[in-house]
Amino acid sequence: MKTFEEKWTAWLDGQLSGPELSEFEAALPDKAAAEAEKAEARKLGALLKRELSVSALTNEEFFSHQIRETIRESSVPSADREARRSAWWTIPRLLWTGTASLAVFLIFTIFVMRDKNPAEESQYLTQILNARVDPVVSPNATVSMFEVKQDRVTVLWTEGLQSLPADYAAK
Amino acid sequence: MQTEATLAQADVSDLDLVTRCQAGDTEAFDELVTRYRTRVFGMIYNMVHSEQDAWDLAQDSFLKAWKSIKRFRGRSSFYTWIYRIVMNVTIDWLRKKQVKGGGSEFDDSIQLKEVEPASKTVPKTEALPHEMMERSEIRARIDKAIAQLSPEQRAVILMKEIEEMQYHEIAEALGCSIGTVMSRLFYARKKLQNLLRDVYENI
Repeated sequence: MKTFEEKWTAWLDGQLSGPELSEFEAALPDKAAAEAEKAEARKLGALLKRELSVSALTNEEFFSHQIRETIRESSVPSADREARRSAWWTIPRLLWTGTASLAVFLIFTIFVMRDKNPAEESQYLTQILNARVDPVVSPNATVSMFEVKQDRVTVLWTEGLQSLPADYAAK
Repeated sequence: MQTEATLAQADVSDLDLVTRCQAGDTEAFDELVTRYRTRVFGMIYNMVHSEQDAWDLAQDSFLKAWKSIKRFRGRSSFYTWIYRIVMNVTIDWLRKKQVKGGGSEFDDSIQLKEVEPASKTVPKTEALPHEMMERSEIRARIDKAIAQLSPEQRAVILMKEIEEMQYHEIAEALGCSIGTVMSRLFYARKKLQNLLRDVYENI
């Protein structure tokens, strides 16, 4: 079921025919006014057609060229794009690599130099062993290890041992 | 209307070109662009009233067409299919512009001031200065009247009156029913008749 607007539009555009046309025209309250409006609509259409059909595209070739370029750019394989990007980033990447290498070198140098400065170290390097003797056998026992680097000697110092189990014997 | 499309149609059909495009032939797409660029640009220009925006939107429409051409099944003509893309792009742009603009109902009066006298409003045949001036004024009145229509009404009236498309083609391009097309056409005509009566009655 068409609405009045749809029927009116179809009538203006000459799209109604047969019984639909006669039925519509018979239902019009003022046929002369409707015909006048139909003529107006045609004048409006003619005006629009005449005035708006001339919106010409200037630089037609450039328009097509721009589309071609965009399509070409988007169809370049990703590997090629990656290669281009790599070439583009060579100088920044070199700068970053150089800076990072310098930083690593400086850190490494500082640690090595500090290690090799015996004046700042004590004669003995002491390491506390985490190992503990059996708390049931010797509850207050502690074990320490001293290393004298200069003489290449290691001393195992124990305190509070009440007895030395057989399997603790030095080999 | 004698267009690039009708001139070139004798050689290769749109459908052949589309088939080649679907196989990745960019030259075939270039040919389609050549056939429809003027009509597409003109259609968009009449909706947005800005040459630069129309250029960008036409470019965007063709690029979207290229990206989705593999989905074209030939159920409608290429012409209707590209118009659907054009309408989606343009109506979407107009809606966003309306939101950004913050309110005035499709009032493009600011842009109308930018229309250069006798720029693209006049046919390329030489005209007398007073004729050019008169036509420029008429064009400005029409643009201002069209700017007061909703994007969908603009699309419908332009496709019907300028492109002379059938109801079903317009419906397909806009993705709506034929009844909706006819209804929008009814209100668009009424509004333009009220706004432009003195123009077309005095010509």
